[in-house]
Amino acid sequence: MSHLSEEELAEQYWGEPNRAVKRHLDACAECAGAYAALTRQLGSVREIEIPERDKGYGEQMWARVSAALPPAPSKHVSRFVLWRGLAYAAGCAVLIAGSFWVGRVWEHRHQLPSPMAKQAPSPAQPRVVVIVLSDHLERSERLLVELKHADADDSELVKPIQDEARRLLAANKVCVENAPKEDEDPRLMRALNELGNVLSRISSDKGHLSAADLEKLKDQVDAEGLLFQVRVLRSKAPGYAWTVDAKTAGGVA
Amino acid sequence: MVCMGREDRAAIKAVLAGDRDAYGELVVRHSRRLFRLAYRMIGNEADADDVVQESFLRAYLKLATFEARADFGTWLYRITVRCALDKLSARRVNESTLIGEENDPEQDSIQVPDRSPGPERLAMSAELSTLQQRAMSGLTTMERTAFVLRHLEEQSTDEIAAALQIAPNTAKQTVFRAVRKVRMRLEQMKVTV
Repeated sequence: MSHLSEEELAEQYWGEPNRAVKRHLDACAECAGAYAALTRQLGSVREIEIPERDKGYGEQMWARVSAALPPAPSKHVSRFVLWRGLAYAAGCAVLIAGSFWVGRVWEHRHQLPSPMAKQAPSPAQPRVVVIVLSDHLERSERLLVELKHADADDSELVKPIQDEARRLLAANKVCVENAPKEDEDPRLMRALNELGNVLSRISSDKGHLSAADLEKLKDQVDAEGLLFQVRVLRSKAPGYAWTVDAKTAGGVA
Repeated sequence: MVCMGREDRAAIKAVLAGDRDAYGELVVRHSRRLFRLAYRMIGNEADADDVVQESFLRAYLKLATFEARADFGTWLYRITVRCALDKLSARRVNESTLIGEENDPEQDSIQVPDRSPGPERLAMSAELSTLQQRAMSGLTTMERTAFVLRHLEEQSTDEIAAALQIAPNTAKQTVFRAVRKVRMRLEQMKVTV
């Protein structure tokens, strides 16, 4: 009769079910004795005194672990990401309303004043203006095209350009103040700054533009490729839009 | 256990979403169990605390690789085993090997070399005073770990193999080798229960 190996006895001790082993232990006194000895010996090393760790141990360990964890991402960065996401979402929603508003304004500019325009706004309701970047760029592009073809001798054409430039200048200031800063969107800021410079010169405190002034402006626009920049930015314009108080926006219509 | 698994998964999801403090829940929940394991393997309180801390740090850094279907406790357990093994290696515990076996025909017994601890081991002797520790003092690091996991932690052979990153059959043989050595040691100490 073959006897059980130490491995089989150990497996039996650790609760690995094996009917054949169980039957053999019932039938073989020698193996039963060996199994009893193994049980005694392994049982003697089962009880180990482990130092007590109370319920507060977890909190203590967390204090140690958290001190050693890598730093969490900067909240400032998170806020920026959140702001940018919200800006895109808000821009999409405001774009439609803003386009309608700007379109209405553009139409009114080329029409006789309507009775409604003569009504003073209620002092209890401050005027707000929505500046939509893409619309600002579109109007600016139109202005630059008109400037390119303008004839300084034709004051009837130049005057509206100057008026529009003044309005765009105010809107441009809002865009410069609120758009992402240069390190985040350098092309946009550069174009807005150059545009502001040109608009400022077109607006001219002198009241009119001489032929020489007009030629210089055209040269400046050509040299800086400003029209091209504005066109590119307009085609890729992110949905930035800002609502500002009419006083803050200055001459924006 | 099912509830704990759900809570663990919720906490992991929160951590991966950026809530670092949610990891504290996992630490609080699993610390004591990991300490018991680490202490059984290391035999030293301070080192066991270090192993627990290191285990949680490693788990945090690898959390993104944790499979949601798996059990977090088991995953953490395996990390702790490996951290404990690293700790033991770092402490440069001498692996005991049988220098030689001599059969004494008169006594019909197997003699094993004297394993009196050297100076380094004596420094740890205060921590190794229990019967169990003395019985296991002749085991290699791997044998001791496998024996602790099988006998004290009641892990299956497959779980031991996964924790030690060895084949199941190797894990089985390592456990049996440890059992043999422990029993021989106990005989040597003439333990009677």
